[in-house]
Amino acid sequence: MSQIETFYDVMRRQGITRRSFMKYCSLTAAALGLGPAYVPKIAHAMETKPRTPVIWVHGLECTCCSESFIRSAHPLAKDVVLSMISLDYDDTLMAAAGHQAEAALEDTIEKYKGNYILAVEGNPPLNEDGMYCIVGGKPFVDQLRHAAKDAKAIISWGACASYGCVQAAAPNPTQATPVHKVITDKPIIKVPGCPPIAEVMTGVITYMLTFDRLPQLDRQGRPQMFYSQRIHDKCYRRPHFDAGQFVEAWDDENARKGYCLYKMGCKGPTTYNACSTVRWNEGVSFPIQSGHGCIGCSEDGFWDAGSFYDRVTDLTQFGVEANADRIGMATAGVVGAGVAAHAAASILVSAQRKAQSKKSQSEEA
Amino acid sequence: MNGTRLLVGPFNRVEGDLEIRLDVEDGQVSAAYVNSPLYRGFERMLLDKDPRDALTLTPRICGICSISQSVAAAAALGDAAGLPAAPQGALVTQLLHAVENVSDHITHFNLFFMPDFTRPVYAPHAWRDEAVERFAALKGSAQHAAIDARAKLMHITGLLAGKWPHTLAIQPGGATKAPTQRDRTRILLSLRAFRKYLETHLFGAPVESVADLGNADALMAWERGDLGFFLRIATDLGLDGLGRGCGRYLSFGAYPGADGPLFARGVWVDGAAEPLDTSAIAEDLSHAWMLGPTAHPTAGETLPDEEMRESAYSWCKAPRLGGEIAETGALARQVVDGHPLALELAQSGGVLARVAGRLLEVARTQIAMERWASALRPEEPFMHHVDLPKSASGAGLVEAARGALGHWLRIEDGRIGAYQIIAPTTWNFSPRDASDQAGPVEQALVGAEVRPGEDSPVAVQHIVRSFDPCMVCTVH
Repeated sequence: MSQIETFYDVMRRQGITRRSFMKYCSLTAAALGLGPAYVPKIAHAMETKPRTPVIWVHGLECTCCSESFIRSAHPLAKDVVLSMISLDYDDTLMAAAGHQAEAALEDTIEKYKGNYILAVEGNPPLNEDGMYCIVGGKPFVDQLRHAAKDAKAIISWGACASYGCVQAAAPNPTQATPVHKVITDKPIIKVPGCPPIAEVMTGVITYMLTFDRLPQLDRQGRPQMFYSQRIHDKCYRRPHFDAGQFVEAWDDENARKGYCLYKMGCKGPTTYNACSTVRWNEGVSFPIQSGHGCIGCSEDGFWDAGSFYDRVTDLTQFGVEANADRIGMATAGVVGAGVAAHAAASILVSAQRKAQSKKSQSEEA
Repeated sequence: MNGTRLLVGPFNRVEGDLEIRLDVEDGQVSAAYVNSPLYRGFERMLLDKDPRDALTLTPRICGICSISQSVAAAAALGDAAGLPAAPQGALVTQLLHAVENVSDHITHFNLFFMPDFTRPVYAPHAWRDEAVERFAALKGSAQHAAIDARAKLMHITGLLAGKWPHTLAIQPGGATKAPTQRDRTRILLSLRAFRKYLETHLFGAPVESVADLGNADALMAWERGDLGFFLRIATDLGLDGLGRGCGRYLSFGAYPGADGPLFARGVWVDGAAEPLDTSAIAEDLSHAWMLGPTAHPTAGETLPDEEMRESAYSWCKAPRLGGEIAETGALARQVVDGHPLALELAQSGGVLARVAGRLLEVARTQIAMERWASALRPEEPFMHHVDLPKSASGAGLVEAARGALGHWLRIEDGRIGAYQIIAPTTWNFSPRDASDQAGPVEQALVGAEVRPGEDSPVAVQHIVRSFDPCMVCTVH
């Protein structure tokens, strides 16, 4: 029966009204950046398509991705997304335990062969034959390979599954390895971040379930709709960066004024994520807004890229400013004339603050 | 039924991976062996890094108690620097920590613990249909209310710390965020909304009336809210006698304020409070796949035994206090703090006591959080500048939701020379030690009923979950 069940059936069974359902569809369209014209399409898809089963497995990780997910501010997420994907198997939240749970996993794989999405939180450690992460008596890497074999596609949740994250930090004691290095024959969508933003997670999964295809990915395999811009591009403190106004010490006068955190080691200029637009904890804030620089947790290797409090010194590969002290001197290559003009305007302010810039350069040296 | 052996696991609805081997005789557990099958090696990665990196790396030990790890790391660095945090920054840290701890208690009760009562084995009981309606995994009405209330309470962590989990705002000198008057108002509103959830759903009555419960009789007479529903089940199933603890409770003291911690520091042994002697803490490695001698965390090392020798059975070290095991957690905190209800609950010290201790703490902490939020003074400094010394050592001893959490670090030449962590579940879920003394959960499981045909005994599930294990923290 469940094989021909649609999303809408599942939602109806959860007691969700037609009105809430339509509201969900329109908010989903908005969250995905799609116009109102897509609302009936989403509704139609959800009424007619069989729901896509999801298996959610956990390797070497800290469960922060699940934690983020269940706090999603996505409209009705607690009712709809959870019941929609039904999490046919999720060992953090499901009811069954032990052998029953293992059996549930096998059932789901068998029943939906070639048709389910495998969501992976964490990653497999390969040292010592995978002995550092044992699930049901077997190395997690075996469970991962087994569950991946008949999956339609794989979602790599978070920095762990996408890149390795902190447990891969030097000397990577367990040889924690990202999913795409172990599973090489399936479409993999990476949703990095430590953890990823809840709304990004629900957005990605809703898109996949609704349209039955992967969202458009960038070269690194991340969904473009959430990872195409740097934190820096949409940061509300950006005007202070351009104006050469920086926090010089924790909780100083400039910090109270909300100046740019670049000199405190902010990695916003090199980090692609949606924190500065979508924000965290139901849109309340994000790290920079709390007075601490971005650490670049959605970028590969962020955990071993030097101190989290060292400033980003070389931005030239992006064709933007070399660094804030020399702001406006570098050409604004790829980002176009608008930014170039903007940067030129910044030179004036920069010149006014020359004394200070020199001072901090010599401090740096 | 003589001499059978059961392997229970993987456990679902616990944080991380856990496997327990049970010896069963005459329908009862006669011995239990707890295995933490997940090792990542944080203590090794921290070596030779910039000490401040601990503020980013250690929270990622755990996505559920990340603020506790942040607070412990910041406290250890602050201790090494010999400078206290700015008082208002300490207040922000305290508020953040309390929000996380309360959220963890709510998550545990609703998502991890209560769903076990929806199992088919309880079909004959009158309350089972209601349990399914309220607590069925991912579907129950109480679960939805709790997830919603918790997400809204977490707005405070968003406001004060930018993001949760894995917050960056907590620093040795205080907190990076200086809240404005407007933030303060929003925090108070979030707390008011959370109080409403507690008073409508969890307790069904004013928070103060739970905090003021004076004895076990008054508790057991409670009929309202999810608390009342749990107590009805607990009475029916005799959960007070299930999974009794060792009676030795440990607390590092929670939420240090200018005039002492909100919940006292100390140990509770044989019905009496004693001061805590942290030098008596040592980690025994005899049954862990770790190499090295028994050592105090300031001298400890983390060298995994890649041979995984036969005589060991877990990656978890076995912390002991003066050679003895100790139970830690919300119940331990409330007992050590001398709350009259907790002291009575400690006399049975089983599943009921642990769960009730947690809910009692939710009520008491809610009141404290409201007081702290009112005491925020936006115009005062929230962070001192702290220069870390080139060589020093420090300890950060805090109370996570699940109990005593300690970070011990040594800075050598400006880099991390040693870093050892003992997490609450390391205490509770420790394996045996050199004298063959079983860990707290291993002891609590002895005597648990194994019904005919049960391969994942429901009594064992209740006992294990009553400790609210966090396995990713355990070994780290």
